[in-house]
Amino acid sequence: MSFEHCMRCTVCVENCPVAKVEPRFPGPKQAGPDAQRFRLDGEKSVDAWVNYCSHCMRCQVACPYGVEVADIILKARLKYSKEHFSPLSSHLFANAYHLSKMGSLAAPVMNRITPLPVFKQAMGLLGVSDVPDLPEFRFLSLERTRRSKGRGRRVVFFHGCHLNFNRPDIGRKAIDLLVAFGCRVAIPRQQCCGLPALGNGDLEMARKFALKNASMLTRYVNRGFDVVYSCPSCGLTLTREYPGILDVPGARKVAENTYHIFEYLLPLVQDRLDAKGLRSIGRVEASIAYHVPCHLRALGIGYPSVGLFEMIDGLSFTVLDNDCCGLSGTYGFKKRNRETAAKLGAIAAGAVRETGCELVVSDCGACRIQLGHYAAMPAMDPIEIVADAVSSGPLANKRRTLAERVASLFPSIKGGTP
Amino acid sequence: MGEHGYDVVIIGGGVAGLTASIYLAGKGFRTALVSRGDPACCLSTGCIDVLGAHEDPMKGIDRLPRNHPYRIAGRRTVIDALEAFLGLMEERGLPYRGSLGRNTGILTPIGTTKTTCLVPITMEASSGFTTTHIHVVSFKGLRDFYPSYITSRLANTSVSVFDAGTSSTLGLATKFDEPSFVDDFCAWLSGLELPPGKIAVPAVLGLKDPKAVLQRIRASTGREIFEIPTLPPSVPGIRLFRALKDAFLARGGHLYWGNAVASVETRSGQVEAITMAGPCRPSRAHARAFILATGSFVGGGLFAQRGSVRETVFDLDVKVPGPRRDWFLNDFFSPGHPVEASGIEVDSSFRPLGCGLKNLFACGSILAHGEIMRHRCGHGLAIATGSAAARACERLLS
Amino acid sequence: MSTRTDVIIIGGGATGCGIARDLALRGVPHYLVERGDFASGATGACHGLLHSGARYAVRDKEAARECITENAILKTIAKKCVEVTGGLFVRLPGDSKRYRDEFLKSCEATGIETVILSPSKALELVPSLNPAIEEAVRVPDCSIDPFRLCLLNATTSRRLGGNILTHHEVVEIIREKGRCVGIRARERLTGEIKEIRGRIVVNASGAWGDRVARMAGSRVPMALSKGSLVITNHRLTNVVINRLRPPSDGDIIVPNEAVCLAGTTSIPVDSPDNLEIDPSEVDTVTTQAEQMVPAFGTTRLIRAYTGVRPLLKASGTEADGRSISRGFQIIDHKNGMISILGGKLTTYRLMAEKTVDVVMDVLGFKVPCRTAELPLEGQDELSGYPLSKRLSKLDDIVCECELVSRSDVQRAVNAMATPYVGDIQHRTRLGMGPCQGGFCTYRALGIMQEMGRVDPDVSLSILKEFLQRRFKGIRPALWGDQLREEQLIESIYMGILAMGQGHG
Repeated sequence: MSFEHCMRCTVCVENCPVAKVEPRFPGPKQAGPDAQRFRLDGEKSVDAWVNYCSHCMRCQVACPYGVEVADIILKARLKYSKEHFSPLSSHLFANAYHLSKMGSLAAPVMNRITPLPVFKQAMGLLGVSDVPDLPEFRFLSLERTRRSKGRGRRVVFFHGCHLNFNRPDIGRKAIDLLVAFGCRVAIPRQQCCGLPALGNGDLEMARKFALKNASMLTRYVNRGFDVVYSCPSCGLTLTREYPGILDVPGARKVAENTYHIFEYLLPLVQDRLDAKGLRSIGRVEASIAYHVPCHLRALGIGYPSVGLFEMIDGLSFTVLDNDCCGLSGTYGFKKRNRETAAKLGAIAAGAVRETGCELVVSDCGACRIQLGHYAAMPAMDPIEIVADAVSSGPLANKRRTLAERVASLFPSIKGGTP
Repeated sequence: MGEHGYDVVIIGGGVAGLTASIYLAGKGFRTALVSRGDPACCLSTGCIDVLGAHEDPMKGIDRLPRNHPYRIAGRRTVIDALEAFLGLMEERGLPYRGSLGRNTGILTPIGTTKTTCLVPITMEASSGFTTTHIHVVSFKGLRDFYPSYITSRLANTSVSVFDAGTSSTLGLATKFDEPSFVDDFCAWLSGLELPPGKIAVPAVLGLKDPKAVLQRIRASTGREIFEIPTLPPSVPGIRLFRALKDAFLARGGHLYWGNAVASVETRSGQVEAITMAGPCRPSRAHARAFILATGSFVGGGLFAQRGSVRETVFDLDVKVPGPRRDWFLNDFFSPGHPVEASGIEVDSSFRPLGCGLKNLFACGSILAHGEIMRHRCGHGLAIATGSAAARACERLLS
Repeated sequence: MSTRTDVIIIGGGATGCGIARDLALRGVPHYLVERGDFASGATGACHGLLHSGARYAVRDKEAARECITENAILKTIAKKCVEVTGGLFVRLPGDSKRYRDEFLKSCEATGIETVILSPSKALELVPSLNPAIEEAVRVPDCSIDPFRLCLLNATTSRRLGGNILTHHEVVEIIREKGRCVGIRARERLTGEIKEIRGRIVVNASGAWGDRVARMAGSRVPMALSKGSLVITNHRLTNVVINRLRPPSDGDIIVPNEAVCLAGTTSIPVDSPDNLEIDPSEVDTVTTQAEQMVPAFGTTRLIRAYTGVRPLLKASGTEADGRSISRGFQIIDHKNGMISILGGKLTTYRLMAEKTVDVVMDVLGFKVPCRTAELPLEGQDELSGYPLSKRLSKLDDIVCECELVSRSDVQRAVNAMATPYVGDIQHRTRLGMGPCQGGFCTYRALGIMQEMGRVDPDVSLSILKEFLQRRFKGIRPALWGDQLREEQLIESIYMGILAMGQGHG
C-alpha cells in the first residue's frame, strides 16, 4: 500500500519525461497513487492512458516517501493488457528476444534489409516507428562463442540481448575486463531478462523468461558465483522485478549476489592499483558526456562507471543525469510513441551537445542508439572506454589472444560502432 | 552486498545536504551523498528566505533565541555561507540577486507580497512590482495560475493569455527551452499593445538556461520580465536543486539516489558505516564522518507517530513540544505551529546532543528550534547550517 | 418585501429536502430555507450508511423494519447515490454468542435477509478483515452519498416550482395571534433579510429543532449527542463492516467513494454548534475499528468530522445516545408549526412522507405520496459506481485526489446561487481527498474568478475561511503521513503564497 504515503508533492511529476511532452499522459502522480485510490474495486480496467508510461522509473527514484509510483503504474498496465487486446507492436516487442535471435542468425541479410524504406513501411504497418534505426544484428552473438574464460573469482556474466545479438564486441570486452582483474567468467546460455515482455504487458512471457534465468543463475549462485551484468535494465529486472512483481522463487538470493560490472570491478581494480602503487588504470584522451541511464538510477547503486572514469588519465567527463533519452527500451520504437521519443531524444541530446564533448557514453544500449542518433555523435559503452584505458595502461595484458587476433582481421564479423 | 568507502557520507539531498556535500567535495574529500528521493526544495519558490520576519536579516539573527541554529552557526558563518552560495550559483549559470542586509518583496500568484532575501535572476525584476504597470501573461489551460488573483489586488495591471499548445508547468518550461518557441513568444508579446511597465509570467521560463531566455525576451521586447513562483511542481525549485546537484557532480561527488538508510553501524562513539536499503539490494558505505541532512517532516528526517516524533536514520533524541494535542494551534494561519520547533539539538560543532557520536553532524531543517515558518528562514537556514556542519566536519577530517 | 407560499421548510438536510420533493410531487407550493449548504448538519456528518436495519433489529424492531423497506426503495430510486456494497456483521473472539443468536432471530423477524459466512469466506470477500474473526453475517447494508441525495431531492422541488434558499438563516418566525405565519431569513453573504409568509412552517432542522421551536414559542425535547468519525486515505474494504455486538463506539466502517469512514463516538452535548473533536475521540474510533480491520491501526487518516444526532429525549431517562430510539416523531404544535424529529438518513423519505401527510391534513389537501415510486431526477449526469470506471477519461483535472475536472467545477458553479468553495466541494467532491483541498481550492477559486462568479476582492478571504475550516477537521488526526502533507500545504500557503504575512 505504498500509495498511501503519497504527499501529492509533485516531485514525481517534475521527474516524468513523458508528461512533459505528451499531454495524453496525466503524469505519474495522477496515473499512480491518485488513480490507485479508484482502482481498489477490482473491476475491469478502463485507464487506457496508463500505456503512455515508458517505465523509465524516474518518478519512483525521485519519490522521497517510498511510493512505488512506477510499480503501481506498471501493475495497472499489466492488468489493462490482460483485459484488453494489445496492439501488434506490443506482441512484437515482448518477443524481442526471439526476433533478435532470428535477426542474428540471418544477420548479413537482415542488416541489409532493415534500413530499406520498404522494410520500414512494413514495420510501420505493424506499429513500429521508423526512427531511430533498429540496431544491426551480429551473427557471432555472444551465445555462439565460448562458455567460460579466465580464472579466479567465480563470476557468471548476464550479457542480456543487446550485447548478445547487437554488440557482442562490447560483451567480449566486458568479459575480458573481468578476466583481466582476476575473474573466472562463465557465460552460460541465457534468455531475455524479460523486461521487454513486462514493458509490453505480457506478464506470462516475462515470467517464463524469469523462471528460466533465475533457475540457471540460482545454480551458479549456490556454487559460489556472483552474477554480473552490464545492461542496467537487465540488472534492474534481475534484482528488482524477479523477486518483486514477477515473484520468482529464489530470486531474492540471486539479487543479493548480483552486481553491475563496474560496481563489481571497482574494488578489484582499486586493489590492483594499490598493490602496484598506481593511481591510474591507463590513459584515454577524450572528453565525454556521460549520460546516466534511467534504469541505472533506478538500481540505486550510484553511478559506478564514474568510479572507473576517475581512474583514467586524460579523460574528462561530464555526468548528465537530468534527462531520459526517450527510447526507454522498446517504448520509443513504437509508432504510437514516436513523437514523444523524438522530443525527449532531442532534449537529452541537446544536453549532451551543450557539454561540448566529442563523445556520448552510456551504459544502456537503447540510450546509445537514441543519443547517437539525435546528438549525431559516436555513442559508446563505458566498457569500451575502460577497456581502451586498460589495454593501453600499466595493467594491460600485452599478449593478445588468438581470438582477438582473428577478430581484428575481420572487424565486420566481430561488429562494432559503424 | 556492495561496499563503498568514503571520507564523508552525507545523508539527505536537500539544500542543506547539497551545500555540505559541495563544500566537502570541493575540498577534495571523497564525498558521497545518499538521498531517498528528490528534496522539498524542488517544490519551493527557489527563493532563499534568510529571515523574512526581520527587515534586515543579518541584524535579525542576533535577535533570535540563543538555541536557534543561526545563532549556533554565528552571523559570520551565515554570511560566508550565503556569499559562497551566490558565487556558486553564478558559476552554475543560475545567478541569484539580493542583499543580505535587506529583504525584498516579490509578487506571489495570489497578488500578495512574499518577503524573501535572495531571488533567482528570473525574479529580480519582481522587486518593487507595485511601482509600475505589470502586464501579467498567463498560458491557456494552465491550472496552477489565475491572473485574476493578482489583477484584483493590484491596480496597475493587465492580462493576456498565450496559447502555448501545452498546459502543464513542466510542459511549458520544456517549450521555453527551445529557442524557436521563445522567439514565437516574443513575437506575440511584441504584437500586444501595452503601456510602459514590466511583464510578469508564471515561473516557466525554461529548465535549462532561464538566464538566456530572460535575456532573449528582454532584448526582443525591450521590457523587463519576471517570473511569479507557482504551486508545485515548481520550475525555479527544480532549477535550484539541479544547479546544486550538478555542482556536486562536477566536483567529483558520488550520488546514491533512491536510497533510504536501512541501518547504521556505530562503534566506540563513532558512526562506522550505513547500510543503504537500495531498491534492489542493500549496499554498505563506510566513511570517516557522516552528516545528517534528512530534513524535517516534509523531508522525511522526522516522522510523527501518534504520540511521539522519531528521527528516521539514527533514532536520535528528538526535541518535541509536548503531547500531540499541543503540536498545532487552532488557527491554521498562526505564524508557526509549535510542532515546527521539533528536531535534533546540536552542540556548537553541529553534532547531535546526547548520542555520543563524535563523527556525526546534523544540518538543515532537522535541527531543533529552527521554526522555519515562524522566522521564514527556509533555504537560508539550510545553506548556513549545511556550510557550518561541513566546516566542522572538515576540521574533524583534516 | 414579502413572499407568499403554502409551506416553509426550515432545514436543508435529507429530511427537509425530502419534504420539499414530496410537496413538489403533490403540487404544494413551498420554500426551503437552510442556514448553510445542503446536508450541513447531521445528514452530512453521518456514516453515509444505508442501513439494512440489522443494527437496530435486536433493540428496535420498528426502526429495523422501516430501514429494510426504505433500503429497498432507495436502491431503486437513487441508483447514483447508493453503492450496493453489502455489509458484514463480524463477531470477534469474546463477543457474545448469545447476542449473535438474538441478532439472527431478530433479523429474521424483521425481514432482513442474512447469510452466515465462515471466517475464510468472509476474508475472501474482505481480505483486510481481522483473520481472528469467528464468523460474519452478511446483510444488505449499502453506502449512500447524503449530499447527492439532498441535491437530487431539491432538484425535483426546484423543477416543480419549489424555492430553495441555502445560506439563509432563519432569524425570526413571524407569529400573528399565536400562529406561525412566516419567517424572516438572513442571507449569509449580503446580510439581506427576506420575509416569507406561509400557512405552515415545517421544522426539519434536526439538532437545531428545539432552537427553531423556541422561535415559535414551543419546545421539543431533544437529547443531543455528538458522534465523531474518521476518514481514511483510501478504501480498506469495499463492504460495510459492523461489529456483531450491542452498538458501541467505533463499530461501523463504511466504504464511501474512494475512502472509508469509521465511527462513531457518542458524547452528550448541550449545543449543536461549534463542535470540537478531541484527539482522544480519533484514537477511540481507530482503536475500535482496528479490531475489525487491523489496517486501521496503521493506515493514514485524512481527517475527522463530527455531527450531532437529532435524537428525541425519552421521557424521564438520561440514557446514552445510542439507546435512545432511532424512530422519528412528528409533532403538530397546533400553532402552524410542525416539527419532524429523530430518525435517521436511511428513513429520510419515509419521514418526509409522514410529515407531508400531516401537512396535507392541516392544509386540507388530498394527494397521495409518490416519492417511493419515482426515481430521483438529475441522476443521469452524475458519475456512478464502480469507482474505477471514472478513470476512463481524465481531462483537465483540477482536483487530482477526487478526479474533478475544470468543467465539473464550472458546471457546479453555474448551478450554484452563491460563491462558496464548500458548496463546490459538496457538489463535485473537490477537495475531499487526501490533500483536503490543499492544492485544488486555490484552483477552484481561480476558476470562479475567471467565470466572474466570485468577486476577486473577497476571494482571498473566502480561501482563508475555507482553509481555517478545513484545518479544524484535520487537526485532531495530525500525525504520520497526514502531518507531513499538512506541513507541505502549510508551506505552500505560507511560503509560496505568503498568506500568513498579514495579507488577505
